[in-house]
Amino acid sequence: MLSPLRNRFAAVGRRLGLRPYLTREPMMLGLLFVVAVVCFLAVSGLSRIYHAQQKSLGNRWSARGVTDLQQQRFEPAVNEFRTALLYSRDDYDYQFNLAEALIGLRRTDQAYAYLVNLWDRQPENGLVNLELARIAAQKGRTDQALRYYHNAIYATWPDGEEMGRRDARLELIEYLLRINAKTQAQSELIALAANLGDEFEQHLKVGNLFIQAHAYEDALAQYRLSLKLDRNNPAALAGAGLAAFKLGRYPLALRYLQGAVIADLHDTQSAELLKTTELVLRMDPFQRMISVAKRDRIVIDAFATAGERLKSCSAANVGTSPTTSQPGLSESWAKMKPHITEFGLRRDPDLVERAMELVFRIERETSVTCGVPPEKDAVLLLIAKLHEGS
Amino acid sequence: MDQGRNPQAGTMLEEEQPARTLPFARTSPKAFLHAVFREERFFLVLSVFIGIFSGLAVVCFRFAIDWCRIYLLGSGVALTPLRLVLAPALAGLVIAVLVIHVFPLARGSGVNQTKAALYIYDGYIPLRTAIGKFITAALAIGSGHSLGPEDPSLQIGASLASALGRRMRLSRERMRLIAPVGAAAGLAAAFNAPISAVLFVIEEVIGRWTAGILGSVVLSAVSSVVVMRWFLGSESLFRIPAVQLERPSELIAYGVLGIVGGFASVAFASGIAALRPRCKAMPRWTQYVQPPLAGLLIGFIAILGAPQVMGAGYEYIDEAMHGQFTWQLLAILAGLKIIATLLSFVSGTPGGMFAPTLFIGAMLGAAVGGAEHVFLPHLSGSSGTYALVGMGVLFAGFLRAPMTSVFMVLEVSGNYSIILPVIVANTFAYVISRGLRPAAIFDVLTRQDGLDLPSMEEQREEDILRVEDAMRPAPISVLDGQETVDRAAQQTDGSQEDILLVRLNPSGWGSIKKHDLHKMLNEGKGRFSLSSLISIQRIPYLHPDHPLETALRYVDRWPLVPVVSRADFGKLEGIVSQRDVLERYRDFGEG
Repeated sequence: MLSPLRNRFAAVGRRLGLRPYLTREPMMLGLLFVVAVVCFLAVSGLSRIYHAQQKSLGNRWSARGVTDLQQQRFEPAVNEFRTALLYSRDDYDYQFNLAEALIGLRRTDQAYAYLVNLWDRQPENGLVNLELARIAAQKGRTDQALRYYHNAIYATWPDGEEMGRRDARLELIEYLLRINAKTQAQSELIALAANLGDEFEQHLKVGNLFIQAHAYEDALAQYRLSLKLDRNNPAALAGAGLAAFKLGRYPLALRYLQGAVIADLHDTQSAELLKTTELVLRMDPFQRMISVAKRDRIVIDAFATAGERLKSCSAANVGTSPTTSQPGLSESWAKMKPHITEFGLRRDPDLVERAMELVFRIERETSVTCGVPPEKDAVLLLIAKLHEGS
Repeated sequence: MDQGRNPQAGTMLEEEQPARTLPFARTSPKAFLHAVFREERFFLVLSVFIGIFSGLAVVCFRFAIDWCRIYLLGSGVALTPLRLVLAPALAGLVIAVLVIHVFPLARGSGVNQTKAALYIYDGYIPLRTAIGKFITAALAIGSGHSLGPEDPSLQIGASLASALGRRMRLSRERMRLIAPVGAAAGLAAAFNAPISAVLFVIEEVIGRWTAGILGSVVLSAVSSVVVMRWFLGSESLFRIPAVQLERPSELIAYGVLGIVGGFASVAFASGIAALRPRCKAMPRWTQYVQPPLAGLLIGFIAILGAPQVMGAGYEYIDEAMHGQFTWQLLAILAGLKIIATLLSFVSGTPGGMFAPTLFIGAMLGAAVGGAEHVFLPHLSGSSGTYALVGMGVLFAGFLRAPMTSVFMVLEVSGNYSIILPVIVANTFAYVISRGLRPAAIFDVLTRQDGLDLPSMEEQREEDILRVEDAMRPAPISVLDGQETVDRAAQQTDGSQEDILLVRLNPSGWGSIKKHDLHKMLNEGKGRFSLSSLISIQRIPYLHPDHPLETALRYVDRWPLVPVVSRADFGKLEGIVSQRDVLERYRDFGEG
């Protein structure tokens, strides 16, 4: 096909005296160009087949890996994701899944290497930041863990931003509570509570976390919100009862705890707390709406209980050096004892205050020197705390 | 001559002649076409085509290796023991038959065959070699033999270039150079690193920087990389982790890596140098057995828990860089890879040593880094950094390409901050390797193959004789061109020399025989100035720093050649004659 063209070129070349230049190099270059195009097209075809096969193999091995990962068979999952990466070395999902499988095998150093690489590629990825935070937390690198957790909270999440961020913050709070950073945990909890939807479970979980962070007012608020959604939920009732109890709001605690015990007969913790609450309400002489006679009887009982505690504590401490104030307390108690009668209390209403003040002092002191008080004394201590500063 | 107008061109070297007129300035179509299709320009265009064809061939070679691996070993990483043993062994048998009966030139180093084409065979490499290398190396690497695809790619490129050059009926000079151009293209596509490929070919194949070839080598390398990236993407061979060097004192740690790498290079090279001739000297029938036996042994190594040593192993280099292995395992892998590569290479299985060298270097580097971290936890370099430096170390120590080793790491990592550790470690490795094994591995292989190709390392370190080494002190009587013949004759009356040097104005030198001077005097030309007389010959001059071979171009035509200062062409530093030059060469040869 090329020879007529070549002959024509040759004829023109001969006429102009250009034979060597027109008949060889331009023809050769043209020919080379054509051959290059043909080869290029052929290799393109091969390349398409090659890449399709690579993609298919990568997907196949990745799918197996995902199945194994879901079933927590980490060892085969690692091999399968490594194989998948052979066919698509830079695939983000394959690398992430491999890191997850390695974490499952507790090979965190290896997983960390993959995750750092993924982080370099997408620093805004929430999942990667969360995994890095977990590894850092596990290794005790608090600063790094906090940085990655915060990155995760403000990162992008493939399956729903809100949920991802909320879960990341929840995990951060749990981490803060583990390392006893309660103030930071409370801040994060307040931020979290502000963005909770109408999900019972979320309110309940946040309420529990508030309890762990010793933020009882906020905890009570969350339990109340969860009770709005499920008014008879035993966990929410128990939590609300506990929060109210910790806040010294015993009547409220009584209501919630009674509900909790009714809702869950096996909830021994709430039952115990209910018993204590009932005792507090029964033994508190300063509560409203009780008669003078009842109040006086409560004071007499409390005074006697404190006296018993003082005696038993002194007996237990025989041979050891008593605290400086204990002899003084015994003296005060003995001095006041003759006046603590129904008649004496009715004649001198101020004696109620003074008697209870002494009772509270005795309970405080003995709880320091003699350890955990018996039930009634413990209740008196709670009442003392309730009326501190009042 | 234009010597008087252009003093810089005093030596009259061809390269220093003024540039020619541009082609479009000429009117004749013949002249125009002649200029356009002048061979050196045509060669440049051809280099681009060489790059394209080499790139396409290397892409197909990569596909072939991967397909061989998938169909012979399976598509997974956890391979069955039966396949691990049978695939390399059976592939070895097929390769042995092919190499013995069909492609005998497929055996051996591609670098050396390209050098042989350049220095012995006028650029001729049969196309059959490329086909043979393609098939046998793809089978070998794909089936798990511990070899790499770079050297075969280099040879495929060189072979394609040679075939194209023959088809284009290039001159002998161009044909000689065409194989390295193709080699650079092949290597660049295999490495996805054009700068390293160009440097390697210049450093190890051509051995010198010449402007005539550099453009072609660069063009072919770049065009092949473009083609390769078109089909396989622009990702580098490895995913490079963050590289950091916080304190200069950490360079000591890299120095330790250089020392360890230097000794490992010596062990690896010594193994090849000792075992290869023994294997070659075995009876002919054993050549059928050697590759399958090597495959079998590599399979056993894989079964025993180190499948990473099979094939080129790039994926494992990548994993080592990302801290996927403990330092103890890395050290074991480096040792086993040396054994596996020795088995594959000395058995005559076609394939290259670049990838195994990088593998050993990366494993060794990461192992040394890991071990150092155990004792010095404050070191900032990650295992990836050490692996990267380790690759350069083995490249410098084993392949003895110090420049390429530095630029390869730089090009692959894309991180300039790694240059200091690489230079420090490579220098240690190179010096140790050079000290313990004077001959580089490519030179050893060449000599084992019965060839005597120039050693690039020896060439680099060879002393060069200069004009100043041969010149004699300047003679007392140097005539001035303005002198009359009378006075010149008086001045030279007592001189013993037959030939007299004449300093011409405004610059330049001439010579006149004493006999001719007296003849002019007798002819009554005593009042004429020397420079006005035709018989005074203008002669070239040299500078003391010129290579002595430059003087050879002139001393047979002019009995005396002046050697003048570069700062003042009129100031004579000395003279040189043919006898002086030959005596200096004789002394040098005896020394």
